[in-house]
Amino acid sequence: MAPAAPPSTIETSCPRGRSAFALDRALLYDLADIALTGARQNGASYADVRIGETRREYAFAKDDRLESFDERASQGFGVRVLLDGCWGFYGARRLDPQSLRDGVERALENARAVKRIQTQPIALERLPVHEAEWIMPMGVDPFEVPAGEKADLLLSIIASARDHGADFCSASLSATCEERFFANSLGSRIHQTRTRVAPNFQATAIDRASGRFATRDCLAPARGAGWDYIVGAGLIEEAARAGEEARAKLGAKPVTPGDYDVVIDPTNLWLTIHETVGHSTELDRVLGWEANFAGTSFVKPHMLNELRFGSELMTIVADRAQPGALATIGFDDDGAPAEAADFAIVEKGVFRNFQMALGQAHLIGLSHSNGCAYADSPTTFPIQRMPNISLKPNPQKCSFSDLISTVENGIYVVGAGSWSIDQQRDNFQFGGQLFYEIKNGKLGDLLRDGAYQGRTTQFWNSLSGLCDASAYHLDGTFTCGKAEPVQLAPVSHGSPPALFRNVRVLNTSDDA
Amino acid sequence: MFLSSDDAKSIADKVLARSKADACTVQIHGGLDQSLRFARAGATTNLATAEANLRISSHIGGRIGSCSTSRFDDKAVAAAVARSEEIARLLPVDPDYVAPLGPQNYGFSDRYDDATAHLRLDALADAAARVIEEGARVGVDTFGCATTARRFNAYATSAGLFAYERRSEIDLSATARNRADAWSGWAGAHQFFADRLDAERIARVACAKGAHNATPVDLEPGAYTVVLEPEATTELAFWLIRTMEARAADEGRSFFARSGGGARLGEKVFDEQLTIRVDPADPLAPEAAFGFEGVPHRARAFVENGVVTTLYRSRAWAQKTESEPIPFAQNFVMSGGDVSLDDMVRSVRRGVLVTRLWYTNIVDRQSLLLTGLTRDGNFLIENGRIVAPMRNMRFNQRLGELFSNIKALGPTRRTWRAAGEGGAPAAPAMLVEGFNFSSKSSGI
Repeated sequence: MAPAAPPSTIETSCPRGRSAFALDRALLYDLADIALTGARQNGASYADVRIGETRREYAFAKDDRLESFDERASQGFGVRVLLDGCWGFYGARRLDPQSLRDGVERALENARAVKRIQTQPIALERLPVHEAEWIMPMGVDPFEVPAGEKADLLLSIIASARDHGADFCSASLSATCEERFFANSLGSRIHQTRTRVAPNFQATAIDRASGRFATRDCLAPARGAGWDYIVGAGLIEEAARAGEEARAKLGAKPVTPGDYDVVIDPTNLWLTIHETVGHSTELDRVLGWEANFAGTSFVKPHMLNELRFGSELMTIVADRAQPGALATIGFDDDGAPAEAADFAIVEKGVFRNFQMALGQAHLIGLSHSNGCAYADSPTTFPIQRMPNISLKPNPQKCSFSDLISTVENGIYVVGAGSWSIDQQRDNFQFGGQLFYEIKNGKLGDLLRDGAYQGRTTQFWNSLSGLCDASAYHLDGTFTCGKAEPVQLAPVSHGSPPALFRNVRVLNTSDDA
Repeated sequence: MFLSSDDAKSIADKVLARSKADACTVQIHGGLDQSLRFARAGATTNLATAEANLRISSHIGGRIGSCSTSRFDDKAVAAAVARSEEIARLLPVDPDYVAPLGPQNYGFSDRYDDATAHLRLDALADAAARVIEEGARVGVDTFGCATTARRFNAYATSAGLFAYERRSEIDLSATARNRADAWSGWAGAHQFFADRLDAERIARVACAKGAHNATPVDLEPGAYTVVLEPEATTELAFWLIRTMEARAADEGRSFFARSGGGARLGEKVFDEQLTIRVDPADPLAPEAAFGFEGVPHRARAFVENGVVTTLYRSRAWAQKTESEPIPFAQNFVMSGGDVSLDDMVRSVRRGVLVTRLWYTNIVDRQSLLLTGLTRDGNFLIENGRIVAPMRNMRFNQRLGELFSNIKALGPTRRTWRAAGEGGAPAAPAMLVEGFNFSSKSSGI
């Protein structure tokens, strides 16, 4: 099917140009046309198709052994049709014309199958049409780096941790490259590619006399980046610190449970932002679409522009443009441009926007979605997922030492540990990698066995200090889980260190 | 893409014939998954996805390189074989290298039914309609997911092993929320055989649990007597099973490590009533015939009458410690008793009936401290009767203490897990004392 509307300008953002794409462009257009023509000829009022390839690499080593080195590549497509107000979807790991024809038939069959339970027809807003390319800027392609170099790095990380106090250490490197072609019946044709990498390790120290053990996980985050990020992440030095700190945790003072002023490092706060703000403001959860699994939300549509989510210091923004972030991309999986996902979720403490995918905005009286769709494979149904969601730094100058100078009796939390939150995103409990005393405005001793617990809006309303942009740090994950069947999404969250007053801190060894 | 045994073997043979490595293993898995989600009496998303993956591991000079592809044409297979060999040559020698397995004797795991394997999405719409209709009858909003899958798994080695098995699956889970959006109930089931899935019962139980309009009561944090329905028991037992790894215990970094060195194998760690078994021939929760490395699953207890009898162990660690490799188990059976759920409730002076748990996570591996929340049907019990719906609570509970303090067990029944995840365990309702609720949650 020929594009129904004139294309927008072609966008490129990388000197690699089209060489960054592995799939044949003519084939992609042909396959997309087969799917979209088939859908239209059979009565679909809207259709889109995602075609792509995902390459992954995962290397894992433990102690003196490289346990596995896996490289994988998968290609496939997914076609989504809207027929008589019902969605139908089919995906397969094949890229040939007949598979696309069969796929359209099955998608239409699935749409007909759900007709009997579709009491309210699916309604879509009209998306703008784009013909575009987007290529993530990147230094060194991780898939071009020899396997031996990666194995050597892993074994060096482990050796470094063990030379500095760890008895055991495991380490891994992950890399993913997604190439996606999106086309829809409105005429959009969008070709994109991006790459992400994640270093990880865990150092373990054991006290043979007592039988106690302690771990310290890697604090270097996953990023939308190439191998140059891995090389520059200082992993050998970070592993040395981890070995020392795992050993030090064995002799650290236990946390005394109670209410404290807590300074949370961005290496920990990213996960709190993710769970309490990111997930609670997803409109599909609010509408009940995740009620059976991922959960609903304490945030309701009538709270838009009304809910006092946090203190005046709290401004949390969504974006798909931040360099190095894991959800950065030119267009989402509904074909909405990154600019649509540039909005405040919470502005000076007031709740301002939900995250939305195609077909959701009108359900709360709004006109357009805001670029928050993602499918974790071409073969899966796109759903509402987070763009990058970050806490804005303090516009006033505030260093880390300025921040803790205001704390008389507190605790500083570094690194993400165990995490859990209720299905409406209210009651949470988060652990950490390192806990330090703060006494009279200065950092004190290392503590062990800490975790903090809270209620979402109470916690964010206790935000009373924030560092400026000089202390900003971007963290994130490859694997945010949601939907049935579960889909995994990459997403980043940035923040500066932040101070929260009167937070309940537990001792996990004897208080719990 | 679902492959027969013959088709999978043909591909595996092609790979092995092309291999120039010292040794080679081939894993092929895939199938067709279909799912349908619904919310407030309307379909939200659905899909059918056909997938297959070929993984080749080449062994060269005590090094193993692996490469996977979703393409099965000759050119793609040849490229994947060559790439796996190229990777292997670049890697350091593995000091604990293990050669591929030779032929094995596997038990039969009865987990495939042709009729279930060939269901289409309209069958899932039928199941969803039962829930939606029951919700309309009872006056609650309904939400849920129905899924079917047919999957195959093949494993071949250059040492002469070829293993293949297949399974069919169906699951239905349903959440019912009252019209004020202030209370929630849930039920679900998973089966390998569609004719064993009772959609009417799932609809009835979820809607009955969700049909409470009274304001839920708040309970103060503290230690309570708790009746855990089988879904909740399963989740707790699954965390226990997950941590029963021999290497971590041998190295002193596990709850199952003995003070002074070694693992707690043979030690009575839990209540006499706790027995957890794995068996490919079990009629309720049959485990697969073989595990990830091609090692057979055998009928065995991991815990028997409170004694730790088995820890799972990779082939490399088994070789290093001169012991038996034991694959990780997804389908286990926790033995039950003969106390009905009603009798358990009748025996409680003040406590809580818990339907299921949510967002559980280990807080401390040393003590097996687990946190999480109750979800979708928490009820206050007073003087042997359920007296009110109760708001959800966060718990922080040591699993060792929990499973050492079992007061009663009900009959074991198969529990829910989403189709496509490899099966589901079976467990009983369980009455325990001193369950530690640490804080309140408004999340319903």
